Amino acid sequence: MMDLHSELILEEYRENLPVFERMKEEVVSKLTSALARNGLIVTAIEARVKTEDSLAGKLALKGQKYATLEDITDVLGARVITFYTDDVDRIAAIAEKLFDVDWENSVDKRRLHQLDSFGYNSLHYICRLPGYNFRFELQLRTTLQHAWAAINHDNGYKTGVEIPREYLRQMNRLAGMLELADDEFSRIRTEINDYRRRVQQLVQNGKLDDVLLDGDTFRSFLQARPFDALNKRIAAINQAEIQDVPLIRYLRVLKALQCNTLGDVKRLIVKYEDDAYRLARHQLGTTDLDIISSSVGIQNICIVCILDIGGGTMGLERFFNVVNGESSQNAALAQLTFEQASNLPFMQKKK
Amino acid sequence: MTTTIQENGKQLIAFFEGRLDTAAAIPTAEAVKPLMEAENKEIILDCSKLEYISSSGLRIFLSIRKDAATHGSKVLVRSINADIRQVFVMTGFISLFEIE
Repeated sequence: MMDLHSELILEEYRENLPVFERMKEEVVSKLTSALARNGLIVTAIEARVKTEDSLAGKLALKGQKYATLEDITDVLGARVITFYTDDVDRIAAIAEKLFDVDWENSVDKRRLHQLDSFGYNSLHYICRLPGYNFRFELQLRTTLQHAWAAINHDNGYKTGVEIPREYLRQMNRLAGMLELADDEFSRIRTEINDYRRRVQQLVQNGKLDDVLLDGDTFRSFLQARPFDALNKRIAAINQAEIQDVPLIRYLRVLKALQCNTLGDVKRLIVKYEDDAYRLARHQLGTTDLDIISSSVGIQNICIVCILDIGGGTMGLERFFNVVNGESSQNAALAQLTFEQASNLPFMQKKK
Repeated sequence: MTTTIQENGKQLIAFFEGRLDTAAAIPTAEAVKPLMEAENKEIILDCSKLEYISSSGLRIFLSIRKDAATHGSKVLVRSINADIRQVFVMTGFISLFEIE
């Protein structure tokens, strides 16, 4: 049976439940907005108000430790689960600005371990929202730390002391492995970011032959809008407006056309832009279509290149299937495009 | 030119029939207004009976796509004939739409 002191705290809890619910909404909302403003993508932001049963259980165990409900700091618990271990520290810095941190009661469990031990890694801040008396607990951990903690919690042991030694050893082995994996994910992310910066530098300096063609490098190249001049020439045929569209889907085609570096892509543009324009003039010149997308330039460059290297209608059909999706109409479209292109100078020379 | 809209659970299907040319553009734009305001829907532009599309028609399709994106909806163009597919390719509109 519960003692009077604990009953009073439970009564206080019931009276203040709406306050904790409001705090919960506010904490989640503040964290969500702040992370979005800082461009941080996380696995989850979650929060819960302790149930009455759970609080009663806590009070039954150590009720005398708390004078009032205000002394219990985890009635509201919030948690941010990150992808990367570096992000835990970045989010901690954001939380320090959003909330008043009670440093005396906050714990960085990542720093508690001895040199020869592994286990639960998480950053716990005890915080206060401006305008509220109650504190709440904010846990920051990585997805891997969260998985470890959740599985460890599922074993039914409340404290490390209760766990059989062999099981504890195995869980700690896993914790060590996950810590290593967390560090590796962070290291890989740093290396990818360094690579992207190096690529941008090379693209900006025009050293395109030094840059291998891949998704990252092609995106950097597209930022310089290399097809704009051709698109504007094509738009001028019917005084058309141009709608921007992502061109990343052409990467696969460019690779198939033996473009291994951005320099190869640049040379492809220079070599085929006039024929690509002539093809557009042939197609659009007899219509009143005065709206085009920014993919027309690269599309026509690929078409004339395929025809120039002898790909024929089969090559065009494969191209349409890759870029625009499989369709039974693509064979007829390839045939029609082939006929439209047959009057272009480079096709005439082939005859 | 007629435009009919049917709601089917999460889907909103617009059936276009006839020639979507400059003359038909104004009534068609009016007819597709419910698509522009739909929240979190899958909008299907059924073109199985659409014979022709002009720039004005392409602009209507583009407006539907833009409004859908701001309302969390997704647009799919279904069953375009060979001539319309050619228009979509020549103009590069084929890159703007998911086509079934």
